[in-house]
Amino acid sequence: MESIVYGIVTASIILLGSVGFSMTLNAENFINIAHGQMLLLCAYITLFLNAYMSIVPAAIIGILVTGVFGVLFYKVFYRPIKKRGAMVLLFTSVGLAYVINGVVGTIFGTTTFAYKIPNVKEIIPGMTPYQLLIIIAAICSTLFLHYFLTKTKIGKAIRAVSENSDLAKTRGIDTKRTSNYVWFIASSLAGLSGVFLGVIGSIHLEMGWNQILIILAATVLGGLGSIYGVMAASVVIGLSMELGVLMIPSYYRLAIAFAIIIIVLLIKPDGLQSLWNKSGKRVA
Amino acid sequence: MLTGTALFLSSILTLAAIYAVIALALNLEAGVDGLWDLGVVSFVAVGAYTYTMLTVSPASAGQSYIMGFGLPMWVGVLAAGIAGSIVAFLIGKPTLKLKNEYFLITTFAFAEVIRQILTNERWLSNGVAGVYNLAQPFKTYFTPSVYPYILLLLLVIIVFIVYVVVHRLTYSTFGRSLKALRENEPLALTAGIRPDRFHIRAFVIAGFFAGTAGAFYVWYSTVITPSLFTSDITFFVWMAIVIGGLANNKGAIVGSVIFVLAGESLRFLDLGSGFAVRMASMKIAILGLILIAILKWRPQGILPEKKVKFSNSSKNS
Amino acid sequence: MLEVQNAKKYFGGVKAVDNVSIQVKKSSITGLIGANGAGKTTLFNMISGFIPLTAGTVIYEGEDITNQPAYKISTKGIVRTFQTPLGFPRMTVMENMLVFAKNRNAGIFTAIKTSKKVTPLEEEYIERARKILKDVGLGNKEDAWVSDLSAGELKILEFARPLMADPHIFLLDEPAAGINPANLNSLVTLIKDLRNKGYTFLIVDHNLKFIMNICDYIYVMADGKLIFEGLPDEVANADCVIESYIGKKKTEDTVSN
Ligand SMILES: Nc1ncnc2c1ncn2[C@@H]1O[C@H](COP(=O)(O)OP(=O)(O)O)[C@@H](O)[C@H]1O
Ligand SMILES: [Mg+2]
Repeated sequence: MESIVYGIVTASIILLGSVGFSMTLNAENFINIAHGQMLLLCAYITLFLNAYMSIVPAAIIGILVTGVFGVLFYKVFYRPIKKRGAMVLLFTSVGLAYVINGVVGTIFGTTTFAYKIPNVKEIIPGMTPYQLLIIIAAICSTLFLHYFLTKTKIGKAIRAVSENSDLAKTRGIDTKRTSNYVWFIASSLAGLSGVFLGVIGSIHLEMGWNQILIILAATVLGGLGSIYGVMAASVVIGLSMELGVLMIPSYYRLAIAFAIIIIVLLIKPDGLQSLWNKSGKRVA
Repeated sequence: MLTGTALFLSSILTLAAIYAVIALALNLEAGVDGLWDLGVVSFVAVGAYTYTMLTVSPASAGQSYIMGFGLPMWVGVLAAGIAGSIVAFLIGKPTLKLKNEYFLITTFAFAEVIRQILTNERWLSNGVAGVYNLAQPFKTYFTPSVYPYILLLLLVIIVFIVYVVVHRLTYSTFGRSLKALRENEPLALTAGIRPDRFHIRAFVIAGFFAGTAGAFYVWYSTVITPSLFTSDITFFVWMAIVIGGLANNKGAIVGSVIFVLAGESLRFLDLGSGFAVRMASMKIAILGLILIAILKWRPQGILPEKKVKFSNSSKNS
Repeated sequence: MLEVQNAKKYFGGVKAVDNVSIQVKKSSITGLIGANGAGKTTLFNMISGFIPLTAGTVIYEGEDITNQPAYKISTKGIVRTFQTPLGFPRMTVMENMLVFAKNRNAGIFTAIKTSKKVTPLEEEYIERARKILKDVGLGNKEDAWVSDLSAGELKILEFARPLMADPHIFLLDEPAAGINPANLNSLVTLIKDLRNKGYTFLIVDHNLKFIMNICDYIYVMADGKLIFEGLPDEVANADCVIESYIGKKKTEDTVSN
């Protein structure tokens, strides 16, 4: 039971991180390695604020600031070089990941931190209110995102751009504006995920790297770029990581996630490939 | 003071030379062929461990690792290369079918899984404790004070050899076919080039040299622990070849030297004790900035890919 | 020499190619026309092994080559060009030619052992490539990056390249698209020259004048189906062709403008 709760909590955190990653992957067509460091950034901003205020306002400010950073990074680093293709963007994001990680490390050092949060009792056996909060937040974010993407005008525009940005442009969609929304939402969700990671565990410099690997795993499992697929994949990976440790040593938690994607890709390279190919990149 | 600086410089140049070997290997598979390999550290790690396990003496009390045959170093280096190739073959066979993005993620994942195994399986390679006091080549023939320069010299020779081999491959028919695949795979197919064959060859060759680099890394560090083989190595080598110029072999070497120099020269800044632990962070932040700047203002790198001309070489034939 | 029998290709519900049979005779120039989306490129992709057939067979010189991998089909002497020619952009024109040399002799250990920049065998290929480039009018471009060529030059290079490997049949996907009239004339001469030397062509194009002028026999496709076949004048006068193809083309032009 406890493992299942852990699994769902882990899944929720992965989901929040992966959904944003998929949004940027769809919108800009590149793998944003720096996304993991957005989790880290928000976790540390919140940590800093947490010294002066309680965790909830600190987290809210932290998440908004991280969202703004996301838009800023996009405007300063990615958009100017967008034409140069996925490879240049990818390595720019690697550079940015190191910059964020390095700056945070320079300021905070290599110590492991924890938030100042009140101690609480389990509300139901095996579940603390924090865990419940994380699960609820993940569900709400998912519902909000679904509503936003399918019902609002700007959400529909984002989906149009993701499917075919050239076509969207000719239809008169302001792709710059949709990009700002995408990066704000993606980065804020990453930030939320980062704060939650800090709440259930600790805050340290490796968290961004660890998390981007799991996010990549979820993204592959869900079929590159399919937001709903990635949501399902996050649940699968989160649960199998936490249930897997019942059978194999817990230090292989992370390895389980990779084992899953390796196996999936080896069994079904074409199945996933075809999902990805809908963008038509490989058609001769 | 001067000898101190010279020693320090020779030490970082030795490190740069090791990077250069990995960079040349990566340049063949990623620069000439267009494989987005984010797991090159796998080969280095497996090479380094194979070398160590074959050349050290059997595990003493309190340690545990397999083999420990005490074989000669050159056997170890060769085995390191072969082990790198085998790992490349095993990883490449199923994953080279995948397209760029998937390939990148899977190779990345493999590298992490390998590191986790090395970290956690203590019987295999003594786990996080690693193995210490490993021997260095020709050490007994020289006094300790000159030895660092000898090691540097040895590595410079090795870099030269690897450079010549990779250079010849790059400009051979084989290399041209790799480039063709990188540039336009469908068109390369119409030339009868079989992608899986060529990709796996490039990957296995890269695995070989990166594997030997693992052995050289052990020479340099004289210790081996799993924490030496994080994905940082992969990213750093990628940075080096992007900075130096993708698909330019001289660029791979130049990039490695610049990259290592830029990172290590920060040590000269005296920011007081207590800041030392943060230096590593500051270093990666600056390296990240350099990468971003190069990609923005000089995306072809310092030495862009060379144009292959035949008009002079064969005009008077 | 090349025969496609009852070829079908379905993409989900879209019947891109629906039961098409065509025949290309040796040393002929056969045309394939049809509005955008008629399924011409898809048919090419199936013949050349780029996509599997949903059903049907492809026979070349009496051999069933259905669904063989693309690299294998091209070594049999079937070469295809692409609707949007890109070449190998970051390689020189000469390198582009050499990639197509027949005996590419990709020995790795030989390469490592050879200190010469250009081997005698390559020397031969280089000479051959120079001759071809000169013949097609790209003689002064051998050291240019392909990414620096004009659209017209790219089109020419597109089938100068396969000449390196002595192909038997060319499948040309819209060779005349985006080419200026002067270049078009030299293209026509080039194709006719090659045909007289014994090469065979299957050409897809939108430019009716070009197709009518050059082809011996013409197939017409619409919505994945073969709707007509015949000699150029028969095609020019067939009602169904004018209706479905030319009529459609007009509306498309107005859309894309
Ligand atoms: N890879 C693909 N996936 C789905 N539909 C495709 C694909 N390739 C082509 N089609 C569809 O098949 C039809 C025929 O396309 P195509 O062969 O390119 O036509 P043409 O070359 O005659 O203009 C079109 O409706 C096109 O949308
Ligand atoms: Mg077409």
